[in-house]
Amino acid sequence: MNSLSKYGFRSALLTSLLAALPAWAQNCETKIGVLGPLSGGAAAWGLAMKGGVEFAAAQSNEAGGVQIGNRKCKVTVLNYDTKYTADGAAAGANFLAGENVKLIIGPVGSPEATGVKPVANRNGQLTFNSSFAKDAIGTQFPNAFHQLAGPSAWSPALVKAAKERFKITSVVVVAPNDQGGTDVASVNADSYKAQAIKTTEEYYQRGTTNFAPIVTRIMNLKPDAVDTASSPPGDAGTMVKQLLEAGFTGIIGRLGGPGTPEIIKAAGGVEKIKGFYWLELVATEDPAVKSMLVDYQKVMKVPAPDNTLLYTAAAATRMVLKAITAAGTDADATKVAAALRGLPAEDPYLGKGVWAGKASFGLAQELVFPVGMGLVADGKHLGVSRLDLSGTK
Amino acid sequence: MKMQPRSRNVFFTDMWALALLAPMILVPILTTNQYYYSLANQALIGLVAALSVYIMLRMDLLSFAVPAFMAIGGYAAAIAAKGGNTNLLLLMALSFAAPALVALPLGALVLRLKGVYFVLVTFVFNEILQLALFETPKLSGGSNGISGVPSVTLLGMDLGTNQGVVYVTLLVAFVATLITLAVTHRYRPEFASIEENETLAESLGLATWRYRTFGFVVAAGVAGLAGFALVNMLMTAHPSSFSSFSGINYIAYAIVGGRGTMLGPVVGTGLLVWSSNLFSSKGEYSAGLFGLLIIVVVTAAPSGLVGTIHQFFKAIRRRLSVSADLPTNSDAATSQPIKGGGP
Amino acid sequence: MESFVSTGVIGLSLGTQYALLSLGFTLIFGILGVINFSHGGFYVLGGYVAYSFSHLAGVPFAIAVLLAALACAVLGYFVELLLVERHVNDHLTTMMITLGLYLIMTTGTLVVFGPEPAEFPFPVSGSFRAGGFFVPYSNLIVLGVCMLVIAVVYLLMYKTRFGIALRAMADDREVAIAQGLRPAQMFPMAFALATGLAGLTGALVTPILALEPHVGESVLAKSFMVVILGGLGSIGGATIAAFIVGIVEAYSSVYLGGSKGALTLFILVLAILVVRPNGLMGSEARKA
Repeated sequence: MNSLSKYGFRSALLTSLLAALPAWAQNCETKIGVLGPLSGGAAAWGLAMKGGVEFAAAQSNEAGGVQIGNRKCKVTVLNYDTKYTADGAAAGANFLAGENVKLIIGPVGSPEATGVKPVANRNGQLTFNSSFAKDAIGTQFPNAFHQLAGPSAWSPALVKAAKERFKITSVVVVAPNDQGGTDVASVNADSYKAQAIKTTEEYYQRGTTNFAPIVTRIMNLKPDAVDTASSPPGDAGTMVKQLLEAGFTGIIGRLGGPGTPEIIKAAGGVEKIKGFYWLELVATEDPAVKSMLVDYQKVMKVPAPDNTLLYTAAAATRMVLKAITAAGTDADATKVAAALRGLPAEDPYLGKGVWAGKASFGLAQELVFPVGMGLVADGKHLGVSRLDLSGTK
Repeated sequence: MKMQPRSRNVFFTDMWALALLAPMILVPILTTNQYYYSLANQALIGLVAALSVYIMLRMDLLSFAVPAFMAIGGYAAAIAAKGGNTNLLLLMALSFAAPALVALPLGALVLRLKGVYFVLVTFVFNEILQLALFETPKLSGGSNGISGVPSVTLLGMDLGTNQGVVYVTLLVAFVATLITLAVTHRYRPEFASIEENETLAESLGLATWRYRTFGFVVAAGVAGLAGFALVNMLMTAHPSSFSSFSGINYIAYAIVGGRGTMLGPVVGTGLLVWSSNLFSSKGEYSAGLFGLLIIVVVTAAPSGLVGTIHQFFKAIRRRLSVSADLPTNSDAATSQPIKGGGP
Repeated sequence: MESFVSTGVIGLSLGTQYALLSLGFTLIFGILGVINFSHGGFYVLGGYVAYSFSHLAGVPFAIAVLLAALACAVLGYFVELLLVERHVNDHLTTMMITLGLYLIMTTGTLVVFGPEPAEFPFPVSGSFRAGGFFVPYSNLIVLGVCMLVIAVVYLLMYKTRFGIALRAMADDREVAIAQGLRPAQMFPMAFALATGLAGLTGALVTPILALEPHVGESVLAKSFMVVILGGLGSIGGATIAAFIVGIVEAYSSVYLGGSKGALTLFILVLAILVVRPNGLMGSEARKA
């Protein structure tokens, strides 16, 4: 990259022209990649992540772009539909490598993270995934980062709070029989067992649309609570609907990701729910967090996707952009990664967070901001309280 | 024999398939672009899987079980590699043998099913295998699969570099193509008679079950090779790589390209893999664009791209020979009603 | 014991839904020989059309369902006429065409309606409870509609000239043509009937379950299984097979769990086909 000429009037004129017209004067471009499922059953997550990245990029461009050296570069976002498979994610990383994209936000799910990490490692790319896998990141992949707190971070705290609130003595954890399901359900199960709660894990065949048999099986166990873990929102909604139809009078849990509006809708409204505890990936009732939705509408001219992965993806993108500036380059993933690690975990909307992960993964590359715990009790929505996970190691 | 000019044509076209593979050797030499490596790998693996479909189509059987056999081969290789045996040739042999061995008893059970019943059974078999993977976590890693599969070695060389992976995939594709060529041509008359009219063939004394089983077993082995190449490329054996949807894709590669010769799968795989990668970068439109492409190609070229090109050349040849006012041998031998397949 | 009975009731509900779903599939399959990969797509489309009419235009639910069925029938008519008709003898080509159509439909609904589930509740809530088991009223209504539809289709296929003509076409096309029947006129109608049924099912069933762009994915597999199990070309066979599949799925899921339950169902289907290679009530197998 050439530096601008230092001499005299001509350069001053040029500079002021450039400053006045950021759009067409951008002669440098920074590309950020997004990997996630943009079609199929997990599209809600992938599209939310894409929205978050594009929003953060658009905001950066409104301020002139990302500072690299002494130039401001326009941020462009490239996406690739990974279709929630390991090979799709690998193909996506290679596609982005062909476009000279070294910095990737995503992928979304566990199969994808498994497929992308070795390939991104070989390609010299940085990834920032949101999977809930036990091995979401690790020491053998130094440039792989984790966008949000994993179940081992929030599951114990949330389970403890739920037990205290609702006096649960037995629980059934339900999830689909794939990696996205088992990752979270197994960790949740451990947390419940640690609280001396009788726990059963039930896995259903991916693609099931009618949960009546599963519901019957659950009812036969007569649990105090049913935790839908990381089941997709549509599945969880149907399950809750059919649970209530079958006469379930216990507590519903959702420790595993976005999808609570569907459950509330499927139940027929908050008033019909006796007890409900759930995880929100961010503290959704924080005024600062809520303001991001307003800003999204303003900047992108469309309403924000209704999925909280939007926030974590946007925050990750902002951190990466800051890291690019700190490292002075967007072409060397290792340099950007080193700068990223050194940055304080801060976000204008999500507040102060921490870099966690040393205990779970061996390296502190998990970006943890406060999450939310939502509660409904006796038909009344008690709001989403902020849960600070800054103690996570 | 009426068959011969046609079988010579097919052989000639099939050799083209082999010939088209050869230039792929240059890919790792001419470029270091990871995207091209990825395309090459995906296309070669897709080709081997499509060849497995093709072998079955030669017997007028449509098999959705290709991903299942790929999984068996891939997982077998992964388990062996993690256990310390990373020799390339050993792993290739293992990934061919394991699904072939499973196909033998399975074939005895299901091969007497006709037409669509067979199709459904292969579809169900694929689902069963996915569930089996989930239910046997100790062996298969369950829903997490087996990650960190070590790279293959040959004569002391580690083939785990980007170029190395392309070469390994190319070798697998080459071997699979040779196997397919051997099987479809050695038994061309037998397979063709089963394809055309099985009852008649049986009444003429052909032990059709033997050839069908043989074809099924070989197709399973070829699919296993594809599975090995896929696991090697990803360094992971993951259940999501062997879904039913991928099976549908491999069938599409064979049909879109043309199911009469081996060149068909080559062309079909090349086109569809390249366009799938292209469309995947178009956000939520990716699946729809791919569907649109399939519809356009299949309606414009119902006997596959290769088949349509063949017909085009034949039409030209016929026009030239008609203008010379002489019926030629090739006319008589090849003017058969288009069954919706064939060159 | 209660659980045993409730599970049986659930199995019957499932069977009803599968029977409705498979009717359309078996029609196209039996008469045209086409494996309609877009069957699930029409199911989802039916749901979204009914949702659009009912929630965005305030049309009463029953009317919305009928409009959805009609819309899917019309679309199916033109799909057959424009895309499938020319290649109707080539089953592999038509399979590919319908596959492409499915991908387009699923992308279309995703782009237009978004990936989140649509809020489309069944207008009647509550359940009929007796002696320890319960049946949601919605399921009873669907059962009723299913019986009605099966009766209508049966009458259509066996008692009207149109239906007899269609069956003749399915049995032996050459002779039927020789008798003066015109496939070019009849096939689009048959396809439309089938897709209309799929749309009707979607409009009825998705409010009970969930309406999202991807819920059609498992529809094809289930319909395929039911139709083959029942035997090709047999409406009665498909219906019986639907109930068998529903009941087996219910019992195996309740007593073995979702994952092992699915495994049991698939192995059972495999076993049945090995013993009876033409399905439970099928006679002659059609070449693929």
